Amino acid sequence: MNAQHQPQMPETTEGAEEQRLVSGVLAKDRKATAEFVSLCADWIYPFVRHRLVPRAELVEDLMQEIMFTAWQALPSFRGDANLRSWVMGIARHKLEDHYRKRIREIEMPEEDDSLLELAVMPGFEHLLDLADRQKKVQETLAALPEAYALALIWQYRDEKSVREMALLAGKTEKAMERLLARARESFKKRWNNA
Amino acid sequence: MPESDSEMDLRALLAGEIHQIGERAPSSLKARLYSALIRKQRESGPLASLNTSVAAGHALCVFEELVHIAPVGEKAKSPFFCEICHARVMAERFEHPPIFWPGCPYVDFRKS
Repeated sequence: MNAQHQPQMPETTEGAEEQRLVSGVLAKDRKATAEFVSLCADWIYPFVRHRLVPRAELVEDLMQEIMFTAWQALPSFRGDANLRSWVMGIARHKLEDHYRKRIREIEMPEEDDSLLELAVMPGFEHLLDLADRQKKVQETLAALPEAYALALIWQYRDEKSVREMALLAGKTEKAMERLLARARESFKKRWNNA
Repeated sequence: MPESDSEMDLRALLAGEIHQIGERAPSSLKARLYSALIRKQRESGPLASLNTSVAAGHALCVFEELVHIAPVGEKAKSPFFCEICHARVMAERFEHPPIFWPGCPYVDFRKS
């Protein structure tokens, strides 16, 4: 890694600032690196944290991985997109990798399929307080088998289709649909029982 | 296939758990990430000299400034001096560390 970076001519002040920062980081200027870390951490943290809930202990490891990858890929940053979009693209890929690996690795919990249709839709509307609702969502997700929580977050927060999820996780669409159905029912049951 | 009401409620509930606007990373996390990235950078050779930072318009902390003005070669101005500084240790462990001097990245993480 060295300072052989030849950025395109930036068209805006913001672009020029970003190119100055990138050049500094590539030259291993510690102060530029501090600025880079501070900016990237603020961009990535909310995104990663809310997609790893309830596994908050994984946030730092994943953020570090994203940061290292961004630093290693920085010579390829040409300023076509702004730095934030570029870094967030790396974060999305890393998070997707995480979901994919975990869903592939995790053994699917065995549950009685006859119970799948029995869970009654929870009374979400009765929880008027947003903070209480968020807390309960986190607690309910934390109580689920990991594969279920990941599948729900992947689909509803990242808005992945079943087909995309199946493709990325190396499963059939049918298997992914089944996993999601079980995850939804499990979520509802635990929500009702909480 | 259209979503059922139940499906839509679940989607609203789970997707609705969005982060607060302006949410930032904790300063202790930034401090740890910074130290880790600097160590990573050192794997491929020394950091840029403090002279490079000054030339780029960055402020130095009081300890770095002492090294910067010392009559020593560039190589001696390249180590990561924060490695042996208590400010780094505190910043990596506490959210509001009692460190205040200007030019210290670990102090700046607390402010940003």
